[in-house]
Order: sequence, then structure tokens, then C-alpha cells
Amino acid sequence: MNALQYRASFLFEFGVSAVNVLAVVLPLWTIYGRWEQVAGWSFAEALLVTAFFQLLSAVMGGLVEPNLGAVVEGVRNGQLDYLLVKPVDAQLVASLHRVDPAQLWNGIGAVVVGGYALSQLPTPSPAGVFAAAGLCLAGFAAMYSIWILVICLSFWFVKVDNLRYLLGAVTDAGRWPVDVYRGLARVFLTVVVPVALVTSWPAMALTGRMDGALSAQAGAVALVLLGVSRLGWLAALRRYSSASS
Amino acid sequence: MSDLRRLLLAAPTLWRVGVADIVAYRAQMVIWILSATLPLVMLALWSAATEGAPAGTFGPTEVTRYFAATLVVRQLTGAWVMWELNYEIRTGALSPMLLRPVNPLAFNLAETLAAIPWRILVLVPILGILLAWRPEAVAWPGLERAVLFVVSVALAFLVSWLVQVVFGLAAFWIEQSMGLFSVYFSVWAMLSGYIVPSALLPHGLDRLVPWLPFYSTLGAPVDLLTGGTPVEPGWVLAAQLGWVFGLSALARWMWQAGVRRYGAVGA
Repeated sequence: MNALQYRASFLFEFGVSAVNVLAVVLPLWTIYGRWEQVAGWSFAEALLVTAFFQLLSAVMGGLVEPNLGAVVEGVRNGQLDYLLVKPVDAQLVASLHRVDPAQLWNGIGAVVVGGYALSQLPTPSPAGVFAAAGLCLAGFAAMYSIWILVICLSFWFVKVDNLRYLLGAVTDAGRWPVDVYRGLARVFLTVVVPVALVTSWPAMALTGRMDGALSAQAGAVALVLLGVSRLGWLAALRRYSSASS
Repeated sequence: MSDLRRLLLAAPTLWRVGVADIVAYRAQMVIWILSATLPLVMLALWSAATEGAPAGTFGPTEVTRYFAATLVVRQLTGAWVMWELNYEIRTGALSPMLLRPVNPLAFNLAETLAAIPWRILVLVPILGILLAWRPEAVAWPGLERAVLFVVSVALAFLVSWLVQVVFGLAAFWIEQSMGLFSVYFSVWAMLSGYIVPSALLPHGLDRLVPWLPFYSTLGAPVDLLTGGTPVEPGWVLAAQLGWVFGLSALARWMWQAGVRRYGAVGA
């Protein structure tokens, strides 16, 4: 909440977000100026995927990164102890106690772009909207789990604490419809780092291309990842030898 | 002894210190290098787009070459001096560095240069995979283009480093220099040829872009290598040179004014 106290910088972040939206939309706009369809997706459909991607960036940047980044710092300088002595579950506190409100602008940008994209498409069915929301949530849960797993790695290998930036770079690949990628890359983005779950699949649900089996799969993947990441977190904490004791 | 003479005498040591630093942080460096792979993401999109019909002279092969070149140039011109300066100025860590006989920026320049061999080493397997995927993209550009490329990359490195120095030095005056840099980065991504080949920008914009600093850091060497500069190669290099001189002068002035201000506050 400290950031809100600096109103000027909060407004400045609006400018930053506006430029970011432009940068994300520009390649699509240039491409769809020349071609009607790319990998079976139209401009409006691709914009929808981008909107979900921006939403993911906003959530990851605003909720996940400030917190889990602090955990990495805490491991490095032993400050994590202060977190661990609290009576509440450490993972919960670590994940929620900081927020970056400037990312709200990115969230708003996502809604604006998504709104425009939906206005160009036939109205989605209620089942589609429901599925999209569910897939989005499952996707966020899956990405959060992957983040936790990456953070856990820094308990073992403190030297590569910037691994989360690599995760950010891989997440970047989710800004296009997943069909743009071929073969191994597509599998990677759907199973290993499931960005496609958060960006392409909800868009597919809204445009009526999703089927029930795939949605169920997404839910299952998210649950499995949540479980695995929880186990990883607990294992990492056992490994952590604090600054003093 | 003049500053420049002192600097030249210290250069071998600075280089050794830079190399030692890079070796110490080699694991982290690999991660940073792998994180700057947006060109590959862009390649996927543009590749899928040009599958059906080419855009101007850009078919799937040209697109692969373009973004492979973008990846290489981005790595060769990579710098982090903005973050370092920002940190040092904000936290006061600059103070002990000012006591040294050589300008602190020289240390960073040496380190940045020392990182280049390691970057090339890490790039080789990535390029190998890329070119194994699209073997028809491999082509010798010809001696003239290769020479222009080498000169242009060196200039691009300087422009890129100096731009970061300027933004880093802005921390002497403003709190939000990091935020400003992120705006610059977004604009840079659009106008330098990083996410859209400059030749494919809207008409009119593609002729303006070579004169802007963004293009001088990336698009210039890439387009000189792939042979698609929007204006004559001579002008491209001249623009780069101009930006090197202009930004050096600006950085020099900012450094002197900034250090004076820094000292006056009583760090």
C-alpha cells in the first residue's frame, strides 16, 4: 500500500501501462493489416488472447512477483525467518502480504483490449463465459504453482535467484494464440509452463472452440500443479537453514 | 597524469576484473541471456503469419534470418549499467566508488565488454537449434555486409550502453528514472525493429525510424546484415555515429553536474 501514497508515480504508471498496451498490440496490428488469418485465428480472436495475457501479466506482476521476489531476497539474506515465525502458514503470508497497485493499470488495459476484441466477435454463450472464467482461474493457479516451484529452486541454488525472470520470459510466449507455435514448443507451453491455459484456452472458450474434455484436463493439471508446488514449498522450507539457528 | 592516460593504463586491469566478475556470475548470466529471447517469440508469430503469403520481401526464411540476427545483436549490445547506476546513486554506494582514481563507469564498461565472449558462447547452441529447425535460413551475407555489420554492432553497443548511462544518471535528479526507462524500453521495442521489422512499419514511419536512437541500437546492424535498410547504409552508420557523440556529450555533462549535486547533498 506504500505505492498509493505516491500519487504522482501511480499516475505515471498509467502512462507506462498505456505504452505497454501499444507495444503488445502493435505487432498484431501490423500483421493483421496484411493477413486476414494467422494459424487459424482472426485479429479479434488474437486480441482476446493478448488481453488475457495482459491480465496474467497484471496479476503476476501485481500479486505474485512482489511477494515471491521478497521470498528470494529473504532466503539470500536470512530475513525469511521473520516470515516463518508467524503463526499463519508461511506460504499464504509470503504470497499475499505485498501488492503492487500500479499493475492495476495493466489490468484495466487488459479489460479495455478484451472488451474491444469481444465487440468484434459474436457474443459468447453463457457456457463459454463460464468455461473461460474457470479456465482462467485454473490457469492462474497453475502459473502460481510454477512460480512457487521456481522459487523453491532458489532455496537450493541461491546463485540462480534470477530464475524467475526466465520464467517471465517463457510466460511472454503466451501472448500469441498457442496455435502459432509448432510441435515441441506448443507442448511445452501447454504442459510444462502452462501459459496457454491462461491465455489461449479462455479465448478459445469465449469463441466457442473449447470442448469439455479439454477444460476438465485444464482443471486437473491445475490441481496437480498446486499439490506438487505445495510439496515443493514444504520441502524447500525444511532445507532452509536460517541466518541464526 | 590526465584522466584519459590513467584510464588507458588501468585498462588491462579493468578488463581482468571484468572477466573475473563475469566468471563469478556465469550461472546468473546464462539465465539473463536465456531471458532475453523475445525475438524467438516474435519469430514464432511472424513465421506463422508469413507461412501463407510473404510480406514484401519477408517470407519465412527472411523472417528467421531477421529474428536470428535480432537475437544476436540484442545479446552483443546487452548492458545493465542503468540498474547499477540507479542502485548506486539511490543507496549511496556510489560514494566509495568516487574515491577511485578511475571513473566508476569504466569498471562497468569493462565488465559489459567482458560479458560478450560468454554471451556468444551461450548463443551458439540456441542459434544452432534455430538454424537446425530452418536450415535454409543459413546464408553468407557477403563480405561488404559482414564488414558493415561488425562496424554497426560496435556503434550499436556504444549507443545502447550510453542510453542506459543517461537514464542511470537521471537518478541523480529524479526518483522515477527506472519507470522512465521502462517507457523508453517499450517505445524502443516498437521502433528499433525488435518486435516488428523496421521495413514493415507503416509507410513514412519506416523512413523516420533510422534517425531515432532506438534504431541505432538494434535495427541498424540487423538491417545492414540482412540487407534491408530503409535508407542508404551510409546514412544509417552516420546516424549511429551522431548518436554516439551526442549521447557521450550528454552523459559527460550529466555525470559532472550529477556528482556535484550528489556531493552537495552530503552523501
